[in-house]
Amino acid sequence: MDERIAVRKNIRLAAAAKYLANNNRDGLIAASNGLNNFLESNAVYVLSGCRPMGESAVVLDRDGRSTLIVTPAWDAERAAALSWTDNTIATDDLAAALASAVGTHHIAVPRSLSIGLSLLGSGIAARIEAALGALPQAADEFARDLARIRTAEELKAAEHATWIAERGYEHLLECARPGMREYELAAELYCFTKKLGAEDNFLLMSASQHNLAVRAAGERILDVGDIILSEITPCYRGQFAQICRTTVIGEPRPVVREKYAILQDAMRAGLEAGRAGTTVADVTHAINGVISQAGYGDYCRPPYMRVRGHGLGITSDRPGDIVDSNGRVLEAGMVFVMHPNQYLPESGYLMCGEPVVVTDQGCRALSAQLAQLDVIPV
Amino acid sequence: MRTMQPSVTIGSYTWAQDRLPSDEFELRLADLRAAMERNSWPAVLVYGDVRDHAALAYLSNFIPRVRWGMALLPRSGDPRLLCAMSTRDLPAMRGLTWIADVRSGMGPEWTKAFDPWFEQLKTDQPLELGTLGFDLMAPVLVQAAHRSLGEHFTLLHADDILTVPPERKRPRELTMLRASGKLVESAAKRFVESWRKSGEPESAALDAERLARSLAAQDVRTLISLDGGRTLTPFAGRFEKIAGPLVGYVAVKLAGYWTDVFVTADENPSPAARRVAAALDALIAAVKPGTRAGDLFAVVAEALAPYSLHPALSGNAGHGIGLSLDEPPEFCADSETELVEDGVYALQAGIADAEAGNAIVSAIVRNTASGAEVLLRSPA
Repeated sequence: MDERIAVRKNIRLAAAAKYLANNNRDGLIAASNGLNNFLESNAVYVLSGCRPMGESAVVLDRDGRSTLIVTPAWDAERAAALSWTDNTIATDDLAAALASAVGTHHIAVPRSLSIGLSLLGSGIAARIEAALGALPQAADEFARDLARIRTAEELKAAEHATWIAERGYEHLLECARPGMREYELAAELYCFTKKLGAEDNFLLMSASQHNLAVRAAGERILDVGDIILSEITPCYRGQFAQICRTTVIGEPRPVVREKYAILQDAMRAGLEAGRAGTTVADVTHAINGVISQAGYGDYCRPPYMRVRGHGLGITSDRPGDIVDSNGRVLEAGMVFVMHPNQYLPESGYLMCGEPVVVTDQGCRALSAQLAQLDVIPV
Repeated sequence: MRTMQPSVTIGSYTWAQDRLPSDEFELRLADLRAAMERNSWPAVLVYGDVRDHAALAYLSNFIPRVRWGMALLPRSGDPRLLCAMSTRDLPAMRGLTWIADVRSGMGPEWTKAFDPWFEQLKTDQPLELGTLGFDLMAPVLVQAAHRSLGEHFTLLHADDILTVPPERKRPRELTMLRASGKLVESAAKRFVESWRKSGEPESAALDAERLARSLAAQDVRTLISLDGGRTLTPFAGRFEKIAGPLVGYVAVKLAGYWTDVFVTADENPSPAARRVAAALDALIAAVKPGTRAGDLFAVVAEALAPYSLHPALSGNAGHGIGLSLDEPPEFCADSETELVEDGVYALQAGIADAEAGNAIVSAIVRNTASGAEVLLRSPA
């Protein structure tokens, strides 16, 4: 085990074991459905460092001993090489292996906690319940709380993911041209970021002369006057980072530039407001305040926008959605994407967003270049 | 074949009405409605998520890119599709399905979209509704469905009563599978060519992926070996040069339909490579309507002896393929299932042995009255 892995093991597994001991709990069963939702915390990844392909679980006892269980059985060597748990088991029968591991760790299920069992399919969840005889008490927020502050290594990975995203966007500016289909551009961008080391990419990229929202790439053929929206979200070593960009093919109408400036102002207000100790709602109000002041207060709701940002998986999606009903207090070291993306009637939907880390002075963008309205000359 | 599930699928999912027109879905729905009639169900609820959505895609053409979707299909009347997307995203979702009534089922939208639809079906007596795919649904969503339906309806898992999608492929499905097969063949060829140039399995897999995606693949999955074919692993972006042989896997989805193929390449084919090629030949020759899947496993086991099947194949010499990468039946030792005419199957043979070497090859065949029609095969 290298030093990097040892440090992470100490931080996350040790903290979890300490929590169990302090709260008089026997153990913890953390499960993953293997679906890799970039808006979710993957508890198995948080506790093992292994991104699973299928349904999987980590069993941890209060003494700090841990076992990773992955499916399918043939994934044994990869999982064992990545995981910092004490043991790794690969199986095609998660429920049976879990029951066996719970026995090996001498964990009493009724005196234990679980994370993520509620995200599994009801079929496998029922098989696990039958195998264990009961289900542990759900503590689904535990992993995301445990990992809510990025470690130095995780922050470095998030910064690298951001670097990949920015290089990807530069590549989009070089490649996009009239006559190209959206899916061709998306394919080029997606594979380019993988070549830079991204293991995944939540990529939405679409175009219209008047966008209603960003969506996944389709068969539309790009043409002059199209406004390309892109939400580029590479994942590097378990850290997703997202940039949101707006690009016009040919010179944009003046009104598009004018309206885009509102989003940039909103972004600056959000960055300034996001100091450690303030709440998510404060950030949301700062962003919405700028947009309202520009005369678009009625548009600060769906379907004209969704949220002003959100946490990024797969370690922790804290602080959650950037919405005015979220009273969570921001803490230094939290990472999320801030995006005052907005539909405005004169310009259509426009995108402007950066991954940020919370500091005492405000949110610091991880990207080197904040979003601007970019133009592909024709 | 299990691969790493991406956080989102990026290809074009727009409903291809020229290839899968509405009358195709009317016929599919008519079969389901006949089953509803037989079972006295006023409706069937069909659930699918980003990974497993074959039944949902077969009946609605809707494939969730994130989270889930659910089709509410009545015995008579208009269907409704719920998707776990924001109301902002609904205009885009409506382009992915023939169902006109598409609603958000997320959060508070659930009760607005799910509950009222059942008003039209209520009677004085409790009614039974059939469900497909509900085993995949998170328990909290199952509970929400039960809460919404109250005492008026009970849910019956219909997955064991109905086979959706059917094992026998429809003509348009065969057309889509052939198109998908051509794409995966091209990708596999690129996989091998690229590896011969770079010696980097991950670069080769990425080149194959890039080609398939640029030709309108909706999804591409790859696995590579970093130990000469003994084990397989998903893309990790490390791009290390690895001594041969190349052993890898590529799967491509086109208009909803998957095809996949293993690749094995080496300057000097190992005894294992020769043995698995012969085993695959034997397997192809044994495919006929009515053949037991377990007998096909026995054919491969005998052809590979004294070696056993490669562990990455999870004890299967093949399986159905179509709207899912792993459709039933599995060709495992104890399978009694008989293959049907116009079924499409992935056949596979592999060895991992320290002395004989490592190799996996595969083919996709259509089962015809006169035997297997090979749609594609691992590149030589």
